[in-house]
Amino acid sequence: MADEAILMKNVCKDFKVLNRHEGLKGSIQDLFSRDYRTVSAVKDVSVTVNKGEIVGYLGPNGAGKSTTIKMMTGVLEPTSGQILVNGLVPYKDRTRNCENIGVVFGQRSQLWWSLPLIESFKLLRDIYLVPQKEYEDMIALYRSLVDIEPILHKPVRQMSLGQRTLSDILAAFLHNPGIVFLDEPTIGLDVSMKSKIRDLIRGLNKEKHTTVILTTHDMGDVDALCRRIVIIDKGKKIYDNDIEHLKSYFGSYRTLRMRLGDDTWEERVIDEKTTDVMEVISQMQKTHKIKDIQLQEISTEEVIKKIYEGGSL
Amino acid sequence: MNKRGLTFYLSIYRKVLIQDLKSKMSYRADFVISTIGMIMTNLAGFITFMILFHNFPTINGWDYHHMLFLYGFSLVALTPVQCFFDNNWNLRFMVQSGDFIKYCFRPINVFFYFMSEVFDVKGLGQLAFGLGTLIYAWHHTGIPVTILTVSQAILFLLTASLFMIAIMNAAAATCFWIQGSGYVMVIMFRFKDFAKYPANIFSGIFKVVFTFIIPIAFVAYYPSLVLLTPSSVPLLSWLSPAIGILFFFLSYKFWMLGVSKYDFTGS
Repeated sequence: MADEAILMKNVCKDFKVLNRHEGLKGSIQDLFSRDYRTVSAVKDVSVTVNKGEIVGYLGPNGAGKSTTIKMMTGVLEPTSGQILVNGLVPYKDRTRNCENIGVVFGQRSQLWWSLPLIESFKLLRDIYLVPQKEYEDMIALYRSLVDIEPILHKPVRQMSLGQRTLSDILAAFLHNPGIVFLDEPTIGLDVSMKSKIRDLIRGLNKEKHTTVILTTHDMGDVDALCRRIVIIDKGKKIYDNDIEHLKSYFGSYRTLRMRLGDDTWEERVIDEKTTDVMEVISQMQKTHKIKDIQLQEISTEEVIKKIYEGGSL
Repeated sequence: MNKRGLTFYLSIYRKVLIQDLKSKMSYRADFVISTIGMIMTNLAGFITFMILFHNFPTINGWDYHHMLFLYGFSLVALTPVQCFFDNNWNLRFMVQSGDFIKYCFRPINVFFYFMSEVFDVKGLGQLAFGLGTLIYAWHHTGIPVTILTVSQAILFLLTASLFMIAIMNAAAATCFWIQGSGYVMVIMFRFKDFAKYPANIFSGIFKVVFTFIIPIAFVAYYPSLVLLTPSSVPLLSWLSPAIGILFFFLSYKFWMLGVSKYDFTGS
């Protein structure tokens, strides 16, 4: 088998959307209308992901992230282009593809709602035909990485969001898939739960060499887990490289924070090549009292924000 | 090579069912109330039936016990759709909210996985009620109890149930294309009330519709004729097992077509 976990070549996905008309008359018109327009959700995206990598898959809302994930998991068929996941064409071989992937959608549990976690695990073991020995080893690994005792016998319905997400992630790795897709796994979680989840993902990736595709809006996730990121916007890939490389693009950028007279912090992102930091401070001083000043390296968050706003590099 | 055959699916279903029942038992109040509800529903249906018969001793040549037989037959035949395919009622909510996507990430049949998630216990009350009625009516209509008649009863009850399952599958699957699929389901579910009456009371266009378009007449009438009038069984009755399998297969294909056409927009 090849070294690539995922191979996407010139993938496009179009949706047909009915042009809706306004008002009651419009609704009746829509009933018989053949008036469709084509919306391109993903445009000519090519990505290769190697085995064992954790790749951050980023982009603003509606950029086409979910559509891409749905194509890689075999739920949607690409309009054109080629996708190979673990050497299989996901859409044609949905069942076989599912054997070797795990999927977690942050806000949607895929576990049996009324069953205790351990029973869900046993069902998954049977569904994925996991040998008993491997199943036990996996549970032992889970125990070593995270304290699962308190949730093991709890029905999913009674769990907190954090416990549920944790359970879903564990469930996604249970059959030791080659690739796990995590769609916003830390959404809505508190700080300590977030770091617990990040540790768990890192631990599992290290132990099992699982490829992880992570979509998130939380740059903390990216900083903690990913070396490489892929950014798409309006369906097009606009960046695909290491995070460090990305930061060096913005190497001359600094974040200037100033504490003003009323104790609020004012933040400015400054490009040192074009703007003089001292100039900004003295300008500010004319109108406000400045109590304190901090100068920081640009954060991943700021870099991503700049890219989203700029549209491309 | 097929690692996941019939035995695999049966064993998965059995395990899900056991776990599901266990957790349902832990909600005793819920369990008791839904059981009482089911008994009440059946009683109400039965009382309506009695009142009707009080006023019309025969309907189109069918006397009380024959009608009762048909009534019990339809109740038993409607049990599988109630017990095993009740999740169809949730389909449109899951499709609209996007939650349906989770059924597509497992290496097993989507239709099976979806249906296996819900087993409706209320159906068992209906089964008990229907069986009681059927046995009582069987005794009074003087149908002999032989290996042949009993196996015919089992075969044709299963056949009859396939039709109602097919109707509900097809009705539920419309949600992949249209928004107001809830109405389609409710209307189809209402149609099942016609199953209790001999289809020969319908005439002309209704008979054609209830036989071939929405095959309600197969939910009790045609299959039960094999036992009720063994001397003059219509061809459609003998063919009903094959037609039932065909209808079920078509409804399954329609359901799966919906899954593949559905574009899972939103996240």
